[in-house]
Parts: sequence; structure tokens; C-alpha cells
Amino acid sequence: MARAFKLRKVSVEGRKELRYAGRLEDSERALVGGLMYQVAELIEVPEEPTSAPPGESDAFEDIVARLGMSVGLEAGQDTIPAEEGSRAARPEHVAGYEDPAVRRLFPIANRQDPEAAAEFARLTEVGLRRRKRDNLLQAAALLEQTDHLELRPDQAQSMLVALTDVRVVLGERLGLRTDEDAAALETISMGLGEDDPRLHFILVYDFLTWLQESLALALLQAVPEEGTRPDGD
Amino acid sequence: MTATATPDLDEVVEADTDIAPDVPWITLVWNDPVNLMTYVTYVFQTYFGYSRQKAEKLMMDVHVQGRAVVSHGTREEMERDAEALQGYGLWATFQKDD
Repeated sequence: MARAFKLRKVSVEGRKELRYAGRLEDSERALVGGLMYQVAELIEVPEEPTSAPPGESDAFEDIVARLGMSVGLEAGQDTIPAEEGSRAARPEHVAGYEDPAVRRLFPIANRQDPEAAAEFARLTEVGLRRRKRDNLLQAAALLEQTDHLELRPDQAQSMLVALTDVRVVLGERLGLRTDEDAAALETISMGLGEDDPRLHFILVYDFLTWLQESLALALLQAVPEEGTRPDGD
Repeated sequence: MTATATPDLDEVVEADTDIAPDVPWITLVWNDPVNLMTYVTYVFQTYFGYSRQKAEKLMMDVHVQGRAVVSHGTREEMERDAEALQGYGLWATFQKDD
């Protein structure tokens, strides 16, 4: 069984340092690391110029296939508000990616001004994708080392953000659009048979939520209550 | 946002009284069903350097009202904040304050 992350003070060459200690079974590490690799692949910067339409070769199909379920908990629930759905303001080579999970990770950054949004995407999206991908790969590599994780603060933050990205993609695949959708997951899972692949999918999501929550709580413990802004606000 | 524990908040703080009038751009964070309340608080504290109290207040604004203004400044500053927060996986946008 996995064990929640805990903040720990260790002595390194005579200095006190913080570590975030947790434990994951081999199968859990393989699962979480595998999801991180696949999300990294999913957000890979598309090559210019556009060749074949890339949208269909969704790396997440693999995840879903591995989990043995078809995409989407509830078909026909694709009700994305138009303002979020519009990719008109995206750069040419990025606009080909209509995957809603990718869209959610790199949302349109200005809802009032399409030109400002397009400029923002042009200036930031490639860099954001690369940084996210690198971070996911880094976190996945950490998981490969040992089942007794003892993360430095920078590694813990990397893991925390990678877990976010994986949960955002999984949440999108589960059709979570509102807080109510998320709250209903437990009820939905109770109505599913043991062999139902959707149950497995929900359990994986729940596991990641639990893992991330424990790491976020441990990291928050080390953040000063009063904040670090000189003006105190 | 997703809560895995009930946040211990019992105060009501007036909304956005601290927006300076001469900085016409804002960064917004929108509610989403995936991000954890603890995580959002953590991001607001570590990225902005806000106090726990302010970070939790903004987090609850996002959760309850669907969005919150998390910073204000020049357009360049707000673009930087939006980019950083998107890097954290938050649903962040920037716009002119009106």
C-alpha cells in the first residue's frame, strides 16, 4: 500500500534540510510514472508545418486502452462553453490540436480580446509545453528510482505539478466539467460493477487525488503562514 | 475545485478592495473541478508570496464565485502571472480591468 507524503527534517552534512517522504508500491509507481510519460507525449510541441492531422494519434488512447475502457464516462457530455472551445485565436500549428485536455492545460488566456490571446499563445505556448513536458519526465524519472521516495523541495514541487497535469487530463477524460461532476464520482463508482473498466479509471483518479493532496499538505506545512511579500498582503 | 478536507475558514473578507486604480490589467483564476483547494492555496502562496490567509481567501473566491482576481499590474506583468499559473495547471487568464 502506498503511504502518504510527509514532511521530514533530515540532516545533510550537518545542515537541516527538508524532505518529502512517501512510499509507493512498484505497481503504483509504474502506473503513475506511465501516466506522466503519456501526458508528456500528449502535450509534445507539434511540429511545424502541420503534416498529417495529429489530433487522432492521442497518446491518451494508450492510457485508456491500458485501463481497458472506452473514452469518456458519459458520451455526449461534451458541453464546453463556446468561449472556451474556440481555438480561433491559436497559432496555426497549434490550432490543429483540438484535444480538450490539451486545451484545458493551455487555455485561451484572454477571453475578451482574441488578438491579445493569440499573441499570448504565440509567445508562451511552446515554452509552456516544453517546460511541462520536461517537468513530467523529471517527475516520472523520480518515480523510477525507489519505492521509498524522499524528495527534495524542488523535486517535491516538480512531482506536485506533474500530478496536477495528469489529474487535469484524467479529469477531462472522465468528463469532469463542474465541481458537481467531481463530487458525483463516488456515487457513480458505487454503482459500477467490480469488472467495469470505468471503476478502475475512477479509482486511479482517486488514488492520484489522494497522493497529490498528501504532497500538497506536506509542502504547505513548510510555507510560512505570513507569506513572503514585504508589504504583508 | 476539489476539497478533500473542510477548510477552516470562518471569515468574510470584502472583495477586491485592494485593487489599485492605476494598474488597469488583472489576472484571473477560474474554478475547475480537478484542482485541489490545498494545491491552489499552495500555488498562491508560493508564486505570489501571499499570506496563508490571503491565499485561502482567493482560493475560496475561485471555488465559490467561479473566479477571482489574483493579481493586478501592467499588461506584461499579468501575462507573466497568467503564464506562470498556467504552468502550475491553473485555469488562468489576463485581461484589462473594467
